[in-house]
Amino acid sequence: MNFNWSDDQAQYRARVRTFIQENLPYNWEQLAHGPGSREQTDFSKVFCGKLAEAGLLIPHWPKAWGGDDAGPWSLFIMAEEMWMAGEPRGGQYMNVNWIGPTLMKYGTDAQQTRYIPPMAQGQTLWCQGFSEPEAGSDLASLKTRAERVGDNYTINGQKIWTSYAGMADTCFLLARTGSGRKDISIFLVPMDSVGITVREIPSIIGEGDIHEVFFDEVQVPADALLGEEGQAWSIIRYVLSLERVGIPRFALAASTLDRAVARLKAEGRFSLGAMEQAARAKAACEASRYYSYSIIDKRCHGIEAGPEASVGRVATVNAERLVGEFVVEHFPDALAGGDVAMLTHHQRAIVAGIASGAAEIQLNNVATEFLELPREPR
Amino acid sequence: MDFQLSDDQLAITDAVNRIAQQFDSVPSDFHGFVLTNDALDKELTENQFFDIAQIPELGALTAAMAVERLARCPCAVETALSMLVLPCLPGDWERPLAVVEQGRPGRFVHNAKTLILIEDGSVALARNESGLTEAVDSLYAYPMGRLMREPDKVVLDSDDAAKVIDCLRVATAIEMAGLLQAAVDATVEHLSVRKQFGRQLGTFQALRHRMADCAVLVGGVRWLALKAAHSGRPGDAALALSHAQESGTRIAYDMHQMMGAMGMTLEMSLHLWTYRIKALLSELGGRGAQAQAVGELCFD
Repeated sequence: MNFNWSDDQAQYRARVRTFIQENLPYNWEQLAHGPGSREQTDFSKVFCGKLAEAGLLIPHWPKAWGGDDAGPWSLFIMAEEMWMAGEPRGGQYMNVNWIGPTLMKYGTDAQQTRYIPPMAQGQTLWCQGFSEPEAGSDLASLKTRAERVGDNYTINGQKIWTSYAGMADTCFLLARTGSGRKDISIFLVPMDSVGITVREIPSIIGEGDIHEVFFDEVQVPADALLGEEGQAWSIIRYVLSLERVGIPRFALAASTLDRAVARLKAEGRFSLGAMEQAARAKAACEASRYYSYSIIDKRCHGIEAGPEASVGRVATVNAERLVGEFVVEHFPDALAGGDVAMLTHHQRAIVAGIASGAAEIQLNNVATEFLELPREPR
Repeated sequence: MDFQLSDDQLAITDAVNRIAQQFDSVPSDFHGFVLTNDALDKELTENQFFDIAQIPELGALTAAMAVERLARCPCAVETALSMLVLPCLPGDWERPLAVVEQGRPGRFVHNAKTLILIEDGSVALARNESGLTEAVDSLYAYPMGRLMREPDKVVLDSDDAAKVIDCLRVATAIEMAGLLQAAVDATVEHLSVRKQFGRQLGTFQALRHRMADCAVLVGGVRWLALKAAHSGRPGDAALALSHAQESGTRIAYDMHQMMGAMGMTLEMSLHLWTYRIKALLSELGGRGAQAQAVGELCFD
């Protein structure tokens, strides 16, 4: 066991950090404020294009798809630096983290040829059509239906809380293809298909993030199906294996806490009470960091992360909550135009316990799979 | 960054685990506050495990892993101070060690050969001579003792004193990690067996989520303590103990709440861990002092 970064890892991090510093515009803090806005989406294509040219967009992908077989740490170090900088890749982080690798494993030749190169060039945005009005945490109860009619599928239904949908080119869509609870399939659906309507839902999170998406007699060819009918859950399990850690939220939380404490010190307001709160928040950030690192480390050694992933997610929610509360208490002006960086953190932190599976679902996972407590009766 | 154990670390942790397993159960006729075990101390001494931190291939990180495992044993044996603090004391001092803070009763004080005296920011060392200390009865599940008179002491300079405080913070944090884990393990066992309202207690979501929250905290305490042992940085040490004392406050309460009246009896062994946790909550000034140190050391 060794907590030191190797020379290669340290050099790689420095390279990524330098790239970010050299390629973010002067008004980046303002741009970063709207995570799915047109301005940030347009900028992300410029930024990701440059990342691709520099060999920094997909270093962890196989060489056959333009990557460098660089392994999980390269992806995670990149993600830490990007998230700390306000995630200038925008929604494209999903492409490189899991959509691309999932298509490599389950996609047909035609799907791979069509969708992977634009991801590798940083020129396309996806959204994930998972949640529905009646299927949030209980995803298996989703109702959006895809019915095979000749060479096409006809899709009808509604998705909601869909990030990036307003600007996305393609949707990674879950739809029901049979009557059983598990008869769910995945479709790759162009967002300009006739019959798709996207409506942005104004939110606390910021411009362009949350949408509802309506599918009204949407026709897609049969080859829009990813894998086989009814294979959604095994594909999702693979996706989760790639996304076990999720976003390295602790990185932005820790840097926001540093920023807040620096301001308190400069203003002579770092009281003993504030120190106690800051210590609690700092510890939560670092605990989240090492839980995440331990999961990445396991992947590097070919070990599948088990329930520790849920433990890590809960730790991350704790960190985001404590830092968010620290900022609101000591810098109330941050949510009133006083500090854009703190506002951006706040808007991202408040969804930490909701996005990608509610914290309460994670707590259940921890109880059942990590602590091995008996299951709740159903 | 590599969290897989080296061959040397694996060999030591396996060996420590094998020894600890021999002392993992509570004798059926034991219904007291303090369970000690000279045989465990003897095994560790004979196998030279108190020297782990001084072996370059192993260091304080491996010693910390050993301390964490041994703290999960129901018996209280002075391992953390000997393994993680003794190596950083200036001069030649003998184990067992004990800390006397502000003149209060302390863990292992009566049986220690070396006393670390902490008073108003100064740190001193003293040999425990006959008649200097006496045993004290307490609820804490450590053998407690106190000074009976002022000892002859060697006052450390500020650099050595700071180093000793850093080592004490790491030692206390990693011991706390083991105690917290053992308390959670004992409670999980209870919740998996005990039935009320026709169901195992562990099936009730109110308890499941509370246990899960505590488990997340325990793992965090362990990670931060291991990181501090590895880095040797004062800020890491303060952060580790801050998180340990903060988490220990909640978990000691929650585990007793989960175990209900059964956990109040000495027939259950929960107090052997929770009252050792409580003994550590106030050490080195408690979480307020640790937070102040974090505020000074961890934010540039």
